[in-house]
Amino acid sequence: MNPAERSQRWRASLLWAWTLTVVVFMYLPALCLLLASATASRYFTFPIPKWGFDWWQKTFNSFEIHQLFKTSISIALLVTVIAVTIAFFGALAFARYEWKGRSLYQKIVLLPIFFPQSVLGLALLLWFNAVGIDLSWKSAVFAHLVWIVPVVTLVISIQVYSFDPALEEAAFDLGATRWQVMKEVTLPVLFPGIFSGSLFAFLLSWGNFPLSLFTTGADTTIPEYLYAKMVAGYTPGVPVLGTVSTVTAAFLLLGGYGLIVLRRRARLK
Amino acid sequence: MATATDRKARQGPLNAVPVILFLIVGFAAPLLAVIGYSFMPERTFGLFQKPSFDNYVTVFTSTSYISFLWSLGLAAVTVILLALICYPIAYGLARVFGRWSTLLTLLFTIPLFVSENVRLYGWILFFIKNGVLLGTLKSLFGIEIQSWLFTEGIIVLGMVYVYLPFMLFPMTLGVSMVPNETRDAAFDLGATRWQVFKEVDLPLSMPGIVIGFLLSFVLAVGAIVEAKVLGGQKVIPITHDIEIAFTYAQNWPLGSALAVLLMVVVGALVLTVLRRFDLDAILGRR
Amino acid sequence: MTTRLPVIELRQITKTFGNFTAVHSIDLSIGEGEFFTIVGPSGSGKTTVLRMLAGLESPTSGDIVLRGQRINDVPANRRPTCMVFQSLALFPHRTVGQNIEFPLKIRDVAPEERKKRALQLMAQLRLPEDYYGKNVTKCSGGERQRVALARALAYNPDILFFDEPLSAIDYKLRKTLEKELKDIHRETGKTFIYITHSLEEAMVMSDRIGVMRLGRLVQVGTPNEIYTAPNSKFVSEFIGDVNIIPVRLANGNRLQSDELGAEFSAPGMPAGFSVGHLVVRPESLRIIERREDAENVLTGTLYNEYALGSRIQYQVRVGEQVFIVERLRQQALNGRLDTQVLVGWNARDSILVGD
Repeated sequence: MNPAERSQRWRASLLWAWTLTVVVFMYLPALCLLLASATASRYFTFPIPKWGFDWWQKTFNSFEIHQLFKTSISIALLVTVIAVTIAFFGALAFARYEWKGRSLYQKIVLLPIFFPQSVLGLALLLWFNAVGIDLSWKSAVFAHLVWIVPVVTLVISIQVYSFDPALEEAAFDLGATRWQVMKEVTLPVLFPGIFSGSLFAFLLSWGNFPLSLFTTGADTTIPEYLYAKMVAGYTPGVPVLGTVSTVTAAFLLLGGYGLIVLRRRARLK
Repeated sequence: MATATDRKARQGPLNAVPVILFLIVGFAAPLLAVIGYSFMPERTFGLFQKPSFDNYVTVFTSTSYISFLWSLGLAAVTVILLALICYPIAYGLARVFGRWSTLLTLLFTIPLFVSENVRLYGWILFFIKNGVLLGTLKSLFGIEIQSWLFTEGIIVLGMVYVYLPFMLFPMTLGVSMVPNETRDAAFDLGATRWQVFKEVDLPLSMPGIVIGFLLSFVLAVGAIVEAKVLGGQKVIPITHDIEIAFTYAQNWPLGSALAVLLMVVVGALVLTVLRRFDLDAILGRR
Repeated sequence: MTTRLPVIELRQITKTFGNFTAVHSIDLSIGEGEFFTIVGPSGSGKTTVLRMLAGLESPTSGDIVLRGQRINDVPANRRPTCMVFQSLALFPHRTVGQNIEFPLKIRDVAPEERKKRALQLMAQLRLPEDYYGKNVTKCSGGERQRVALARALAYNPDILFFDEPLSAIDYKLRKTLEKELKDIHRETGKTFIYITHSLEEAMVMSDRIGVMRLGRLVQVGTPNEIYTAPNSKFVSEFIGDVNIIPVRLANGNRLQSDELGAEFSAPGMPAGFSVGHLVVRPESLRIIERREDAENVLTGTLYNEYALGSRIQYQVRVGEQVFIVERLRQQALNGRLDTQVLVGWNARDSILVGD
């Protein structure tokens, strides 16, 4: 190995070491949550005096927790469906068609992402009040959408950028109606982007706190519940829920990605 | 008569309509409402009172500006730390890690979908008295030190933790935009590694870096949970002030004025930066 | 040459995009079963013309007529035409068979029928039968071309359009595919309308060629006509290496070149000619030993040679101008580089054009 290669190897090792350290840093809290959930005692001390999974059982059996899950999932599912529909067309306008004003449009769409969420939540609170809408999980859906629609538009746009417009023209030229073109060509080819977008929409809604805090009214989502409990009334049920939340997200993401890879491999056989 | 060319020109705007309509009702309107409220007399709740500037006077004469400075300061420190932490990772992801990049990116993405307060609570469990860190030190090594919680440093740690992906992903995008051949050409012409970095890597990945800076700064300025959860009452950022005005103090107009100030700062920053960007070049059309 | 009935015609077709005129009032008539190629440099408007014929763009003014019927308002998916795109536009999420069957599938043809037709086309285009279930992204460049062609032929369109399909392919494969395309044209008997920027490619395959420049149709004719009787400097230069001498009318119907300080005999004089260019092809220019061996003679220095396979190209400097002479390999001149030579031609081997 000559000196150039050696120094390159060395640099690569450094980069790896640094990156893995940061990865550990990212997951340390999750680890702590896991540990804190496995205690049988009411308060958290480390090292754990008595291990036990009682709190896991308590949490899974709790009616209150079931309600929370229902609220969070309802919001997330509704947000996903609406966001992906609006964002799909928005992404086509973003990346597929040439039109005057597209550049301005792109920046307008991205604006809600570059915005402090807590301020957005408060603004929506004000707005709902001014317009006379009662706060409930439905208003939270709307609030989530304001932030999530731009994100999903961005995600789908990235896929749309690499879409060859000639594919649609070819299908049209070969005799397909506009609906057939959408069904047979546009949607299938853009599917990976749409799938990623849906995943993003669901997970971002599922884990969202600032927007939910101000707009759910009497209903409560899991993040709101956890926050309330963190501030006052800690039980090991908190880390249980926290761990479940993290694991669900990891599972959905890795699973979703795995599906995409499998599908791609199956198609290429 | 709708010709093929006419139809094509209309496709873009037509597809944009749902998003734009939605954003008008869901984003522009609420912000306008906030601006409207900020001109209402103190402690009122409707939008149709006689307008006044009282709130802005209050804002500029009270101690709110301290909170404001704290928010900006914390955000700035966070962003600089993030840049230093993330650039090597971004470089590795784009250039060095090969087929592991996707898995690593996924690993960095997962925490994004777990809400901030959950993740931050993990840190509390780590740093609290008798928590993971101090408990281990005490039992294994018999060392007893004061908890690091409720300091400014911890707040920064929390913010770095939460906003890391928002710096990392744009940066990775930026680094991947540097064509390999350009770097090779610089080497071939005699540049040292440092020169290549300074003259090629840094300038060409600048769009991604700038977006990373912008995104993490703007989001960090709007941070509220880190200071509350990890910092106790030690630091009150502006967002907390706003929240208090809206909830405990029941003073929506004042809260709105504070929010407007924040929006103006953020908006000015975002518009100046984003205006110079050709998003097509960065995001897709290579 | 048999006269064909016109199958598609462009009448006074103009296309503007905002302030930019891409196509200026073109008249063109293409015969049934013809292989017609539109040639031109980029920006000449040839792609726009093709897209208007296919229905993917609408003309700003003028008529497109198919067998006597005006089809301006007929959308692309209802014209009996099919286009092979430059990027081929094969559906990446479908197999070879599914791509070929697409036009049949959307016309509700039964699966067994579709498969039969697909396999028939694959055989005709020399694609192995086991490619039927293969994903198109795994096929080679040449194979993908054939799949695209099979797909375009699937429902038997009357006219096929080709948008520079061979421009991104390497030389050897391109030569093979050019010949194959010409064979398939003869086998199917359909009208092929092809565009390319390479006149050489057009000459290999076409029955007739139309040369376009800056939105106008400059000359239309058979490959032979374009080659031996170009009507302008532009068209003559388009073929490739050619010798062009700016000339003006001199006494006694002779041509005077001021730069070279010489006079030449003319191959025939168009009426009203005063200023123009004299075009001499490299193979018509000869390196001679004695002045008497040719009607028009110039003295120059042999300053470079290029081996082109079966031919050798010589560059001769006459004053400031460089002349290109082509000889067969067997007639190579050895050891005469940097010496003085005589180049000459006879008037009938030259062409006189205006501008």
